[in-house]
Amino acid sequence: MITRTSREDVKIAWLLLQRSTLRQWITNKWSYLLIIAIVAIGVGSINGIRQASRAASANFGLFNEAVSGRSEFLIEAPVGPIREAQLFDLTLISRSTDWHMFPILEGPLTQLNSKGEVLRQLRLIGLDLISVANLPDFIKNDLSFSEDRNDWSSWLGASNRVWVSQEFLVLNDLVIGEEFVASVAGNVHRLSIAGVLGNAQTEVPDNLVIADLTSVQEILSRNREIDRIELILNDRSQASDPDALENLEAYLRAQLPQGLSLSATSDRAADRAEMTKAFRLNLTILSLIAIVVGAYLILQALDSSVVRRRSEIATFKTLGVSSRSILICLLFEASLIGIFGSLVGIILGHLFASVAVHILADTVNALYFATSVESIQLTSSDMWIGGGVGLFFSLLAGWLPARDAMLTPPAQILTRGDWSPGFKWLRTQQIGLGTLILGSLTLLIPAPIISGGSRLPIGGFLTAGLWIFSAALLSGGLLVCCSRFLQRFSFGAVTKLAFSRLADGSSRHRLAVAGLVVSVGMVTGMLQMVGSFRGTIEKWFDVRFQAELYVAERGSGGASALNGIDPVVIDSLCQHPDIIYADTLYLTHVEALSSKTVLIGIDYEAWSNQIQHIWHTPPGVLEAQAGAEPAYVSETFARRFNVLNGGIVRLKTPVGIQRVSPTGIYTDYGNEFGAAAIDKTLWSEWTQSYRPTNTSLYLKEPERANEIRDLLRLQYPGLDIRNTKELREVALNIFEDTFRVTTALNAMAISIALAGLILGIIAIFAESSSTWLTLTRLGFPFPYFIWTAGLECAGIAFIAWIAGTVVGLALGWLLIYVINVQSFGWTLIWELPLGSMFIFGILLVISGLFSGLAAGFFWHRRR
Amino acid sequence: MKIVILFFLIVRCVFSADWIQPPKSTELGYPVPQPDTIPLLPLAHAAHLGYAIEWWYWVGHLNSLDGDQSYGFQSTVFRLEGDPGVHHSKDFPVFGDQQIFLAHTALSDVAGGTYIHSERIYREGWQARVSTDRLDIAVGGIVAEISQDSECIKLQMALPEGGFLDIEMLPSKPLMAFGERGLSRKGADPAAVSWYWTYPRLLLTGTLKLGGESIEVKGTGWMDHEISSSQLSSKLVGWDWAAIQLNDGSEVKAYRLRNKDGGADPWSAVYWIDKIGESCNVYADGFTWETDSIWESRTTGNLYPTSVTIRASHPLTEKEMIYRLKPLIDGQEFVGNRPENAYWEGACEVFGSDDRVIGRAYLELAGYGGGLADRLTK
Repeated sequence: MITRTSREDVKIAWLLLQRSTLRQWITNKWSYLLIIAIVAIGVGSINGIRQASRAASANFGLFNEAVSGRSEFLIEAPVGPIREAQLFDLTLISRSTDWHMFPILEGPLTQLNSKGEVLRQLRLIGLDLISVANLPDFIKNDLSFSEDRNDWSSWLGASNRVWVSQEFLVLNDLVIGEEFVASVAGNVHRLSIAGVLGNAQTEVPDNLVIADLTSVQEILSRNREIDRIELILNDRSQASDPDALENLEAYLRAQLPQGLSLSATSDRAADRAEMTKAFRLNLTILSLIAIVVGAYLILQALDSSVVRRRSEIATFKTLGVSSRSILICLLFEASLIGIFGSLVGIILGHLFASVAVHILADTVNALYFATSVESIQLTSSDMWIGGGVGLFFSLLAGWLPARDAMLTPPAQILTRGDWSPGFKWLRTQQIGLGTLILGSLTLLIPAPIISGGSRLPIGGFLTAGLWIFSAALLSGGLLVCCSRFLQRFSFGAVTKLAFSRLADGSSRHRLAVAGLVVSVGMVTGMLQMVGSFRGTIEKWFDVRFQAELYVAERGSGGASALNGIDPVVIDSLCQHPDIIYADTLYLTHVEALSSKTVLIGIDYEAWSNQIQHIWHTPPGVLEAQAGAEPAYVSETFARRFNVLNGGIVRLKTPVGIQRVSPTGIYTDYGNEFGAAAIDKTLWSEWTQSYRPTNTSLYLKEPERANEIRDLLRLQYPGLDIRNTKELREVALNIFEDTFRVTTALNAMAISIALAGLILGIIAIFAESSSTWLTLTRLGFPFPYFIWTAGLECAGIAFIAWIAGTVVGLALGWLLIYVINVQSFGWTLIWELPLGSMFIFGILLVISGLFSGLAAGFFWHRRR
Repeated sequence: MKIVILFFLIVRCVFSADWIQPPKSTELGYPVPQPDTIPLLPLAHAAHLGYAIEWWYWVGHLNSLDGDQSYGFQSTVFRLEGDPGVHHSKDFPVFGDQQIFLAHTALSDVAGGTYIHSERIYREGWQARVSTDRLDIAVGGIVAEISQDSECIKLQMALPEGGFLDIEMLPSKPLMAFGERGLSRKGADPAAVSWYWTYPRLLLTGTLKLGGESIEVKGTGWMDHEISSSQLSSKLVGWDWAAIQLNDGSEVKAYRLRNKDGGADPWSAVYWIDKIGESCNVYADGFTWETDSIWESRTTGNLYPTSVTIRASHPLTEKEMIYRLKPLIDGQEFVGNRPENAYWEGACEVFGSDDRVIGRAYLELAGYGGGLADRLTK
């Protein structure tokens, strides 16, 4: 309940805001614009990542949606494809006129140019081009495959007739009736454009190629297979009726024949969301850094503003304005900054999302599942979250300076000029030490398993946050200690003054160093993780890839490319007289403990004796348990399914539940779902498939690798054939792509931190204004003043670098040995990118020096 | 089952019709039905692959056993043959590429004044199959099968909103073939002929599931099975057709083939079928088809002459016969998936010259939305 006094306080605060604060804003417009920009960048990075990751993974592989509309249920085989003969078992269910059952087959397609080079990756979708005409969205959107609806027999079942979007035609400068070349499953096809799909109502993605289902079976060389059957309600109003959906689901489950499973389409979206949860969480945490650092900067900026206005505030107080009014006025100011910053941030986030979405989609495609980019949508929840985050952090940051201003005794300020109670807690080392200990204890929190099968390293993240906070608190003490030590060796007025000011360790000096420590720590930690990841992959590559040539489907290179190669093509290739041995891999997804994993078919004998690996647990250490087939499993698999010390994992395969028992654990960085490798003969039995995914070729004459590669490329234009160096480049490019967003967010955090340093030093100067004036009157020359400012700032940057590096090293250890192991199940070899860290330190100190020089110059000019 | 059924090829009264010999095949290469073909069961009801168009058509009037409810139903399966010029060498049992099927189902709830309908199109395969040996059809929601040892047909059809009709249909008259020498002519184009076989009166019993309720029903039905490769002459835009079942046990089949100029094609006809299944007919110059009222569809905007009077001079008695058809519900428009193919097909009452009810009918008004003629003239 607001009392009369409270109302008066609010009224006076509002008056102060209008008469005093806004005048300050006009006088110091650039500072305030910078603060608003900082909030905007923070809000923008969070919102941008949200929107981009949603758009990048929203489509989760159901590419047919553009044509057939959204389905309510999916019928799939528990693992692997559905055999088309199984559709006859569904005839009875499909008779209802209240829903449609719509089979789909899809796969990757690589468009080639006239020279046979890869142009772009497309998605080939096989639909029943006749029954699609029954679908409500197809009818509503007035789609058709031909203007003449009687000519169906000319394209139904035709092996090379496809439909594309208008954008595809424009992009490729093609017209209807012309052909384009595409490679799939190791074969090259000339596909004739039979028509254009899409119209004003329906936007068909430009990477979508549609053909009759039987044509796609032939093109993908997946005869008699379909991926899924989508069930679409005829009455679209029922699609949003939970009761109707529940009843239908119960009916379908009761009627569903054996060997097929039913799931709600929305669950699949949730499944996919779960699969990328760890990935999205990492991005969100990174994007939060920007706003956390931003909050610190707002704190500094508002503090600087309070310092500037201290005399004014003291005057107000002597005139009878209550402390509470001062507090409310400053919180109003913080809110305004939050609101303006959030508004700009929401727009900025949308722009950021449009840049980041393709990078994220590439990452999702490479690591998780086939996806296409959906148009970026700014939802009301984005706006609420953006506004909420901006306002919350602005108020949080505004609270301390506001409290400081409220507590300032007017008489002391008016007499002493630069007195401030400061932030006493910053000087209390016990809090910092306590946080450090608490952070170490949170490491003991076990990582819970999330529904996708990954673990969520809650303890690791808490520890990281607490350690950073603790470093920020303790860094003030380090600043004082180091400065006192260096003070002894100082010479000349400039260095003496600079070190003496640093050694005093005012709250504002401590605050400046603390903010920078957070950024330096984060960046140093991430540099180590990325560097260690890269180094580990390079080492793994050197050991694992000993063959001369590597063969895969054209355009493959990610989780989306599990289509495999036509066995006929690979058999023919392996007969080549120059090949001494082909290590062929067969991959498929299976389920274990309700989460997805990968089952690999290998030459078990060769893997045991010839093929090299970095073994986490070499063959022979573990013994296969009775009743299970021996398997080499990846470290991720072993951790995920808790068989690091042996045991049995039950896998759901197309022929039922099968058991594997690890006899060796190898390191692998290909996916975070883990892999179990069994003998290829057994793999074919379990998966009912003979399609290889890739093969490594060992040549009789390794020195002729490039010559043989060129010959094979001519002979098999549908295959991607690379030597070791080329494969390494491709793998590292995927790696670089994966970390592009991380790098961008790092750069954003550090640039905000540097901007904050300038604001911080301005606040420090403002606080010391009477000292500076005294010194000037005593004859302290202008250049000395500038250099003192520069040195002071460089000192802050240096200490921040030292403290930031220490906490960064701890973070690096945490990321590599705790968070990565728990999130992804792989151990990286910890590498310290000492060169990068050193260069970063030098740049930081130089930036600090110049920031100080610039801040001193401008401050002096304004005086 | 090799039953030779009674059938009456001899058209006793032929007026104004000159014989036009049909070609062996159409220009596109589809075979054309040839004269003097006797519809032998069970093959007559089986699919006639190769011919461009074939349909199986059932309509009927049903009453609940307590007599409180009455319904009309329509169930039609169309089979369309692929282009004979395209050679399909592949064997796709699940997703065929040689034939496509349409399934039309509709139910008119007379008391409730509602009409529900559905159209589905499928390719030959897991959702649509027909037998070439006997009547054994399963296309989308329609399943029809003739008994192994009688002419009783079991028909099941799925209806929207969970509706389902399951009936047995027993012919009370033999299968009839219409037209000269067993060919029904649909225009002057020599190829515009069909084999047109009909059960004019079927006795129906079964169950209707509607709105979660199961209702025992009985009634009378009508079945047509028509096979052709050029259903309409290119000058035609549609047709008005009526299957009339009179209370005296006789039936009348009447159709007016409409020319582009709005007039009736000379091959329009009225057939009378007496109580024992003998028939006679007149062609266009022997009858008139007058519009009594027009109904405008709110869905498609099409204008349908749903109340009509057919006046014809009976060839045997030379007496003027008057049949006034009035729909039991106005809104019996079958819109299907594409509004341009909409037609009106509905249950009607039939009034005589003295405005007394003399029977019931099913009236079909096709080609009022455009597009139909193009689809049916290959």
